[in-house]
Amino acid sequence: MKALLLLAALLISAPAHAQFNFNLNRILDAAKNVGQATGEIDEKQEIQIGRDLGARLLGAAPLVADARVQRYVNHVGRWLAAQTERPDLPWQFGVLDAPQVNAFAVPGGTIFVTRGLLERMRSESELAGVLAHEIAHVLQKHHLRAMQKNAKASLAGEALSMALQDQNSLVRDKLISFGTELYARGLDKSDELEADRLGVVIAARGGYDPYGLPTVLQVLQRMNPDDSGLALMFKTHPAPGERLDALGKMEAVLEGYSAQPRLEERFASETKGAK
Amino acid sequence: MKRFLLLMLFPLAVAAEPATVVRATELKKEPAADAPTISNLSENTAVDALERKGGWTRVKASGAEGWVRMLALRYGGDAAAKPGDSGVSQLFNVARTGSSGTQVTTGVRGLDADQLAAARPNAAEMKKLGTYAATKDAAAGFAAQGKLESKSVEYPQP
Repeated sequence: MKALLLLAALLISAPAHAQFNFNLNRILDAAKNVGQATGEIDEKQEIQIGRDLGARLLGAAPLVADARVQRYVNHVGRWLAAQTERPDLPWQFGVLDAPQVNAFAVPGGTIFVTRGLLERMRSESELAGVLAHEIAHVLQKHHLRAMQKNAKASLAGEALSMALQDQNSLVRDKLISFGTELYARGLDKSDELEADRLGVVIAARGGYDPYGLPTVLQVLQRMNPDDSGLALMFKTHPAPGERLDALGKMEAVLEGYSAQPRLEERFASETKGAK
Repeated sequence: MKRFLLLMLFPLAVAAEPATVVRATELKKEPAADAPTISNLSENTAVDALERKGGWTRVKASGAEGWVRMLALRYGGDAAAKPGDSGVSQLFNVARTGSSGTQVTTGVRGLDADQLAAARPNAAEMKKLGTYAATKDAAAGFAAQGKLESKSVEYPQP
């Protein structure tokens, strides 16, 4: 009797059953996409995610309308990137027209520094120190990994609803959305301190006085922390004093290459149009 | 802006500024590790910072003038005193800003957290960015002009 009822139920629900199978396949597809979003992302995908995120940042602040300073920053940055383990990414660098003091690294090799930060620098070695810190984030895939970590939890929960929609674009939107939030929230402190240590080495490899980055940190350290232009940078990074303390460990590299050029004059003439 | 112009005219000149030595350090006669030591400054010594040269800062300390390692100096109005963000406040911020792009703030641009969250993609500007990119060869030529020589330097052990 029981078996009969079950059979009847199955027969009646045959169309629903087919529907269920169809959805199950889509859920499995979605799960596979979650795996893609949270597993290893290949370089092509990394670059594409970076282009989407870069366009978002440029939506918040456009480029400074001065071709000379933009080319200058690209020369310094591209030279530094060539000294690293990812020399052939499509590296591109830009100065954002914003008064806030900040710099951003986007997966795949796109790096921004704000006009507000550039105005507080006095040498090419300081610019190199900041760009090298950002290049280190790209080398270590800090943002990409943080985005994946955050997207993983959310995507797993949403696999069911995702199964009903276009999964690829959803997964990508999810990553971009987490990525944008990441720039407002910041990376782990350990990622920032690692980027400082690697940044000092990359600047030294590029032939610059590696004290450029600590010099910028000291400039930030003596600014008023209540300055609104510093709010996001201070919220998303360890305090400058703490970063300087941590760089004490790097004194051998800093000291060993401190006689290398700082290029104050080239910096002044190449950046005057941006100020 | 005026102040900035002054900085541009005297790139290395910095007005005397109160600072503190955060660890015991030597006051040197010249900005070099092998220069003669004038005196030993103990932790928390108050100094006036005058100018910087590479990793060294010229200071006035209790009547004497000399150079200390810049990493041993922290300036007044210390940002280091500001407590770091706790994980809780970070979570709070995510909850507050929510998933980005739903609230569109028109006409307001900039790089505050809220402005970032409200930003719409600017594909045209992204395309423009690509036009400024430098080739590896061009960058190498630029480095040579500045007498920059690449060095082999190892990353620190984690």
